[in-house]
Amino acid sequence: MNYRIDDIFSALADSNRRNILTMLSKGSKNVNSIAGEFKISRPAVSKHLRILEHSKLVVQNKEGRERYFSLNPKPIKEVFNWFKFYDKFWDDKLHLLKNYIESKK
Amino acid sequence: MKTTPLVKEVVINAPAQKVWEAITTKEGMKMWSFDISEFRPEVGFEFRFEAKKDDMVYRHICVISEVIPNKKLSYSWRYDGYAGNTLVTFELFPEGDKTKLKLTHEGLETFPQETTDFARENFDMGWTYILGTAIKEFAEKS
Repeated sequence: MNYRIDDIFSALADSNRRNILTMLSKGSKNVNSIAGEFKISRPAVSKHLRILEHSKLVVQNKEGRERYFSLNPKPIKEVFNWFKFYDKFWDDKLHLLKNYIESKK
Repeated sequence: MKTTPLVKEVVINAPAQKVWEAITTKEGMKMWSFDISEFRPEVGFEFRFEAKKDDMVYRHICVISEVIPNKKLSYSWRYDGYAGNTLVTFELFPEGDKTKLKLTHEGLETFPQETTDFARENFDMGWTYILGTAIKEFAEKS
């Protein structure tokens, strides 16, 4: 699965969403129990959860009629992965370098 | 954490001297990497450039540490205001009419591990806590 770094940072840029993530780092929760701990409305909490889901920082699981939200560690690992970032970076640069030199001849 | 250097090789259909020009001149570098104001292949020469990605700006500082004309070029590579220092090395090996270019990028593990976000203003406690401890611990346990 691919994660968009931009989506991850956009998701993290809001303090409510960071608070939701902090809450979920202690264990999965349903919407009501998440909303119960915030001053913001339940629809607002749902909106933040949708954004977090889109960034794939959060995944939801259905248990009976309840939907539970939990943290997804994979995109976070992606953010920390400098090796992977530069692996792609140098692939792109060396490709450009080769094309540039060979087209000059 | 990964501590092995990143290594890339590419065979370029040109003599080593042409490859050397492309990686050690302002004009050459502009065509494949970054547009810098000046470049001189001399030990101790410092160059800076900014890489923009969307609304993020990455300020790079590089200092040349080794120069063997047509064979080897090394420079340090770090980000202004942030921890960590890495080393980028280009080595050229003639192969007939062609040149094998080997790129090595060492020390990536010294870059900040708590966040890669350079430009946003959200370095508040919540952010630091989220990226620095809570989620990182969770990610490493999983």
